[in-house]
Amino acid sequence: MEERRDTVRRHAQALIAAALLAGAAGGAPVCELPPGTRLESKRLVLSYRSVPSRIAVGEHFALELAACAKPGAALPERVKLDAHMPEHKHGMNYRPDLKPAGPGRYRSEGWLFHMPGRWEFVFELGSERLTHSVQIE
Amino acid sequence: MKRAALAALLALSAGCAAAQLLDFTAAETSAILRHGPWPAPWTPDPSNRGSGNPEAIAFGERLFFEPRLSPSGKVLCATCHAPFRGWQDARARAFGLTEVERNTPSLFNVRYNRWFGWDGAGDSLWAQSIRPILDPREMGGSQAQAAALVRGDPDFSCRYEKAFGAPPPADDEALLAGLGKALAAFQETLVAGRAPFDDFRDALQKGDRAAAARYPLAAQRGLRTFVGKGNCGTCHFGPAFSNGEFHDTGVPFFVAGGGVDPGRHGGIRKLQGNPFNLLGRHSDDRGGKSATKTRHVAIEHRNFGEFKVPGLRNVALSAPYMHNGSLATLADVVRHYSEISADRLHSDGEILLKPLRLSAGESADLVAFLESLSESSSALPPRRPGTPCL
Repeated sequence: MEERRDTVRRHAQALIAAALLAGAAGGAPVCELPPGTRLESKRLVLSYRSVPSRIAVGEHFALELAACAKPGAALPERVKLDAHMPEHKHGMNYRPDLKPAGPGRYRSEGWLFHMPGRWEFVFELGSERLTHSVQIE
Repeated sequence: MKRAALAALLALSAGCAAAQLLDFTAAETSAILRHGPWPAPWTPDPSNRGSGNPEAIAFGERLFFEPRLSPSGKVLCATCHAPFRGWQDARARAFGLTEVERNTPSLFNVRYNRWFGWDGAGDSLWAQSIRPILDPREMGGSQAQAAALVRGDPDFSCRYEKAFGAPPPADDEALLAGLGKALAAFQETLVAGRAPFDDFRDALQKGDRAAAARYPLAAQRGLRTFVGKGNCGTCHFGPAFSNGEFHDTGVPFFVAGGGVDPGRHGGIRKLQGNPFNLLGRHSDDRGGKSATKTRHVAIEHRNFGEFKVPGLRNVALSAPYMHNGSLATLADVVRHYSEISADRLHSDGEILLKPLRLSAGESADLVAFLESLSESSSALPPRRPGTPCL
């Protein structure tokens, strides 16, 4: 039930973000963010989710990423994703790829977290750097 | 009478002490439960069409004990991976036709690995099984010699066809890949039996305190160090006690003659140049998920001197220890981590390992815990009788 509520809340957040972005753009094409973890910077709103949704130690997973530019900003061409364990000061042993999946949409394969603990995703879109921590058990 | 009562009292206190259960915290319990259940679930290897196939397993078992795979007729897989020595050789460094620079790992639970060999140069068990056949220091064979052996031996040809549904191919490389797959199918059956730790872990999960208290107190204390102060479970993760990856643990990687064992760095290079890797034509799952690791593995400077994290099940049966067999006993291994020198680590800033500074009691308890990971009785089926292939 809690998970469903969470999903509904994320959908609502995504729609609000999209409406704000569309409205501010004055009739420009609507940039909708799919459900997922939502991050925001000065120029961008970003949503990402892992596939499968539960990240397990030692299991490969993919990331789906969507980004919308805020009014007056443009989506950057350079997009880079990574992850590391801040407490251990090391990254992954694998280098994920990144493939465009539509305007502002990307799919990234080849992720694997090889230890339990706190991992930090790093999303670099142009000069914007967004991070998000997850606890992996 | 007084003497008898005193003896009974002492026996009772000893009984109470033996039946004690430490008050593990929720976090400790959660960390302990990660190391089971055992045996862990397993699915056949999609890159090997012989995986889990009884005919391929039987063929692989024949090959494993076949000395003619080496032109010398003197070295077989079981020379280094001896069944009666926990599927290893009890030597510091393996000796086939000559001595090599690394320790022979046990084959117990090899099917749960992501990478194979101390440097992970193999991305499948079948590719790894081909390597020693071709290594001039181990079995000293060749593709042509192994292929001729199978084609020229009616029993082997028959077994090949039964295992793979087609006679041995004319292509030597493809035939050798088939032999690797049969060898892998056999080795996938080598799974450690349940250990005293498993009974404790399962009792803890069920909340059965009486059953959990049968686990020796020293092992319980050692387990507490393993999941707590030692932080060992970060790398020795999961039911097989390995995260399947590579680390520099401060063991010297200089080899005889003044060379250096590059460890994981060299392993990735070898993997990329190996025609039997999972991206190559011999994989039965080239477009599938099993090759994801091979496609995405990253090679970094820090990989120099990194070696694979070995699983710890049946660890008491696999001395000596570390990639070069330089530590003779489990007590030596515990001492190594207790006194590890940060100066010897080439970790490019990683801060995972630091000296544990264990007391003598803590060290002894940690050894008691590690010994409790070895099976109470073998789970392996008896070797199959040598009936001819019809």
